[in-house]
Amino acid sequence: MAAPMELSCWGGDWGLPSVHPESLTVMAYAKFSGAPLTVNTINKSWRTPKGDLPVLVSEDIVISQPAKILNFLRKQKYNADYDLSAKQGADTLAYIALLEEKLLPALLHTFWIEAENYCSVTKPWFASRIAFPLSLYLPGKMSREALNRILLTKGGPPLYSLTEVEAQIYRDAKECLNLLSKRLGTSQFFFGDTPTTLDAFVFGFLAPIYKVCFPRVHLQEHLKQLPNLCRFCDDILTCYFRLTVSGHSPAGQDTADANLQKLTQLVNKESNLIEKMDDNLRKSPQHPPRKLTTLKLAAGGEESSPMSRLSP
Amino acid sequence: MMCPSAEPWPENAALYQQLKEDQILLSDNASSLAVQAFLQMCNLPIRVICRANAEYMSPSGKVPFIHVGNQVVSELGPIVQFVKAKGHSLSDGLDEVQKAEMKAYMELVNNMLLTAELYLQWCDDVTVEEITHPRYGSPYPWPLNRILSYQKQWEVRRKMKAIGWAGKTLEQVLEDVDQCCHALSQRLGTQPYFFNKQPTELDALVFGHLFTILTTQLITDELSEKVKNYSNLTAFCRRIEQQYFEGQERDSAAIAARSSKRSLLR
Repeated sequence: MAAPMELSCWGGDWGLPSVHPESLTVMAYAKFSGAPLTVNTINKSWRTPKGDLPVLVSEDIVISQPAKILNFLRKQKYNADYDLSAKQGADTLAYIALLEEKLLPALLHTFWIEAENYCSVTKPWFASRIAFPLSLYLPGKMSREALNRILLTKGGPPLYSLTEVEAQIYRDAKECLNLLSKRLGTSQFFFGDTPTTLDAFVFGFLAPIYKVCFPRVHLQEHLKQLPNLCRFCDDILTCYFRLTVSGHSPAGQDTADANLQKLTQLVNKESNLIEKMDDNLRKSPQHPPRKLTTLKLAAGGEESSPMSRLSP
Repeated sequence: MMCPSAEPWPENAALYQQLKEDQILLSDNASSLAVQAFLQMCNLPIRVICRANAEYMSPSGKVPFIHVGNQVVSELGPIVQFVKAKGHSLSDGLDEVQKAEMKAYMELVNNMLLTAELYLQWCDDVTVEEITHPRYGSPYPWPLNRILSYQKQWEVRRKMKAIGWAGKTLEQVLEDVDQCCHALSQRLGTQPYFFNKQPTELDALVFGHLFTILTTQLITDELSEKVKNYSNLTAFCRRIEQQYFEGQERDSAAIAARSSKRSLLR
């Protein structure tokens, strides 16, 4: 447990600790589970591996894919899923599969294939982080791999041209975002009040869409119409990533962080109550028992304060 | 569940798949069985027609596909949509969150189970040599049979490489299958179906894959052993088989069960 762990990943910009979805997932999970990772972002040094980031190095062990890295962290007793029931663990796997099948193609497309986005944002950004002459080759390779992946998994007949495939993957991505929004509802995180693996994956995939400033942004616009998902990303950024990358936050910051988190949660619960009242007025929803319980607890605890604040 | 304006389901609706005894492979059989189960659950009659060139007749290149009236639809997802447009649906009673869960679990099965089946069939050298190559091209004369199966193998291996499965060993793939079955088992629990009282398309999909894995003989029994570890999943398969496939002589599922392990080895 005391072996120092180093994570090499792509760096951040636009307010994110990393712009690469998989790196972001691992960083978020490390924050949620309290794993002490030293984060090294790739800059112009020659240590750039062959584009297969993120990579975790612990003593002599080198692990490279997010799922494997998270497994390793869990084995080291940094487990963010400790409180989950077996069914919730199963749900986690299912939703991660949904993200990979439906959302990832559109994410890859927005970053690497959409010509305007790629030429004006993605390629310069990645090229500026990689040493010459690898910077001439690596972004192009990543773009080709992304296109390959999309065409092989989604591009069979009856879709015969790239535009048809694009239309289909964006439709799927928008549906996936809607499903995630419905599943999240008004709760803080996907499984109650503490973040878990699923939250790390969803955050890793959503935050780049949400924050990175692209010229062509219709997925981002769709995401902005789902306020609970935007709130979810912002919450995690403010609560867990108050420092930018490189180095873990010192112990003194943690109490300040915890206070800020409690304050944020109170504000969120207030806005959730208002949203809930709006929803109730518009339709009669069928809340599953799980949701009702959390709302009742919130309403029970906070009933007096929001009412007093709202009264003129 | 039938709205008055829906077009009636014709009597001669047909489902096309490859030849059952000699040609069809594990993954295609699973997909076909899933569609058959779904249509049975919706109470829509369908005939199963086996053709050697089913894959080429299909509009998307994948089996199975159904021919209803003058429309041809392939793969479970589009078939569910098509049937829904005709006024039959199994998932109408679910609320939004449950629908999201159902879609997520269907993606899990496609992402893990189907990919694992494809890996086993086309990327594991022993299985490829002894089972897949002989079966896949069996209706065609030499050298066409070899050419077609090598072509398909190249396609599948390219796809595996693109999604990162090419670097996996067989043990890792079986691990993934185990994880997937564990998740499905946890989700099913002690309920009769995944969403309690009524079956949905998720039940049809899971049944199709698990039943095929359990009743197909491969080089080793490792794959079916992984599924057998979960008794509620085997009970689930048996229950659906008894409820929807019993008493239909023409159906592959019932025949397979009665003749215990169906051998796919030549």
